[in-house]
Amino acid sequence: MSTDPLPLKKEDLLRAYRTMRTIREFEERLHVDFARGDIPGFVHLYAGEEAAATGIMLHLGDGDRIASTHRGHGHCIAKGVDVAQMMMEIYGKKGGACQGKGGSMHIADLDRGMMGANGILGAGAPLACGAALAAKYRKRGEVAISFVGDGASNQGMFLESLNLAAVWNLPAIFVVENNGYAESTSRDYAVAVDSYVDRAAGFGLPGVTVDGTDFFAVCEAAGEVIQRARAGGGPGLLECKMIRFFGHFEGDQQAYRGKGEVDDIRANQDCIRKFSAQVIGAGVVKPAELETIDKEARDVIDRAVAEAKAAPAPTAPDLLTDVYVRY
Amino acid sequence: MATRSPTIGLIANPVSARDIRRVVANANNLQIADRVNIVLRVLAAAGSCGVERVLMMPDKGGISAMLSRSLARERGLNHHFPDVQFLDMDVCSTVEDTFGATRRLRAAGVAAIVVLGGDGTHRAVARECGDVPIAGISTGTNNAFPEMREPTITGMAVGLYASGRLSDGQALSPNKILDVVVDGRHRDVALVDAVISTDRYVGARALWRTETLRSLYVTYADPGAIGMSAIAGLLEPVGRREPGGCAVELCPTSESPKWSLLAPIAPGMVRPVGISGWQRMGADQAFRVGHQAGVVALDGERELAFDPGDVVTVTLRENAFRTLDVSRCLHLAAADGLFRVSAP
Repeated sequence: MSTDPLPLKKEDLLRAYRTMRTIREFEERLHVDFARGDIPGFVHLYAGEEAAATGIMLHLGDGDRIASTHRGHGHCIAKGVDVAQMMMEIYGKKGGACQGKGGSMHIADLDRGMMGANGILGAGAPLACGAALAAKYRKRGEVAISFVGDGASNQGMFLESLNLAAVWNLPAIFVVENNGYAESTSRDYAVAVDSYVDRAAGFGLPGVTVDGTDFFAVCEAAGEVIQRARAGGGPGLLECKMIRFFGHFEGDQQAYRGKGEVDDIRANQDCIRKFSAQVIGAGVVKPAELETIDKEARDVIDRAVAEAKAAPAPTAPDLLTDVYVRY
Repeated sequence: MATRSPTIGLIANPVSARDIRRVVANANNLQIADRVNIVLRVLAAAGSCGVERVLMMPDKGGISAMLSRSLARERGLNHHFPDVQFLDMDVCSTVEDTFGATRRLRAAGVAAIVVLGGDGTHRAVARECGDVPIAGISTGTNNAFPEMREPTITGMAVGLYASGRLSDGQALSPNKILDVVVDGRHRDVALVDAVISTDRYVGARALWRTETLRSLYVTYADPGAIGMSAIAGLLEPVGRREPGGCAVELCPTSESPKWSLLAPIAPGMVRPVGISGWQRMGADQAFRVGHQAGVVALDGERELAFDPGDVVTVTLRENAFRTLDVSRCLHLAAADGLFRVSAP
């Protein structure tokens, strides 16, 4: 029997920490650069929610596909999309993940199984059903995951997708990232059935709710749901209760949030701090090892920003490329 | 017989029965709409039996919002319900809400607290309720503590007690508790069982991997129960009301245990569990946990991680808190004709 105090080997714990820290640095930098006017379009930041993407994606390979949301940077990084190409894309530069023509809400990398961020709320769910149907036919044990927010789960296509996945017994997992706010609207006002597990149960899917700020809770629950789907057990739903450090979008004044709410969650519900305390407390990782990763993550983001700023913008002829795909 | 305040408290946990056992064990799911319907039935029955006011824990899980809509609808139909007021408190959607609500209900002098939840929810209320009795309704997964009973009947019993028609001696029963202390730093309680697991993290909280289990302590053990206490129940049953408890030493079945016991550790999961031995627990006798590092699970949920060198003790306490004996209340009411509205 394993004598490891935590459910992952040290190298996996360090990999998870590096992923979470890279997402945090990426988002914190975008927060600053967007305010300075360096970035075109909109950005929706994932800071504070890193444990969910990381704890789930740790169980996936490149053959497993995900459909992300408008708040997709964390999903991209955790799925292995190149950070420099992501930054170039957000800066709208040639060489970006979509050649600078998509921006923050359309980053995709099919080689990594990342089918794309998506500005249409809830639209990832039917895409994940399609990928899951393909996976079912391929019989390689692959799965597809759809991420949605608590607000997007009110969309009809999300509910239709739960139905389709159940009827076809697809290896599809629906992850509801519940950060409590649909843009600025509370769930009490806008959601008739506040439990997303209830919605899954309505279609005969098993669902589980976990503390999305606890990496180990997400990782353990996601592992079970994903393993079940790989083995042919069909779809499931995972609700991660989480918090976001920033507004719905950059520039959001967040008047709907309580006084001191953000300070409190940064101090007491920071998933990265929780993770660090657990791995250090268990004696598996030394603080200096995490500090080294902190510095390396900052360096990665510094380089990515520098490359993005130096990269050329798409030209007018580039508008006519990548429009159609030949199958 | 003293007249009591016809005000009761109500705590309904919106997130019980939401854990991983729905995925690994086909456990049931009780929807928010069902929970609200249970609350409505309790309120209607308690109101019919004299309760005029109910103080209720607010939540952000959907119960408060849906209940408010439902009460407005019911009152629009001229159906009678007690006055329902939500406690003025911040909601953080953790167990702290239950602790805080229980403290407020106790301070408000409610006659009893109706609890909707699993063993874990009842544990949280029992920690803070003091002398205020609990009337439990099961809405969890592996419930050994709260009864499976039609909530209307629970509401009627609460109404009888809250309105003073039944005395403490007639309506209430004492309960045992396990007092768990980790190295003097953390103190918590369990109502039914405390389990030592080799896991060093809380994770998805529920217990379902038998190879990690090392020790089990129970206040009572019913062979007809499900969950960890079923292990002790199938070895040596201990009554809910009889003195003492039971301590069981466990080991992986791969390590040649003295006995291998088939036990229903979760819904639909009947698993072999390795048993090294067991003994009765006397009241106020501290049992020191032998395992060196792991996590303490309280009433089925991993709660307290401990490190090598930490001293963990488990002590059984009797007469720790009181619960409403619903069945006895209804039998006494029948015998005394408390529900007869006119002479035969």
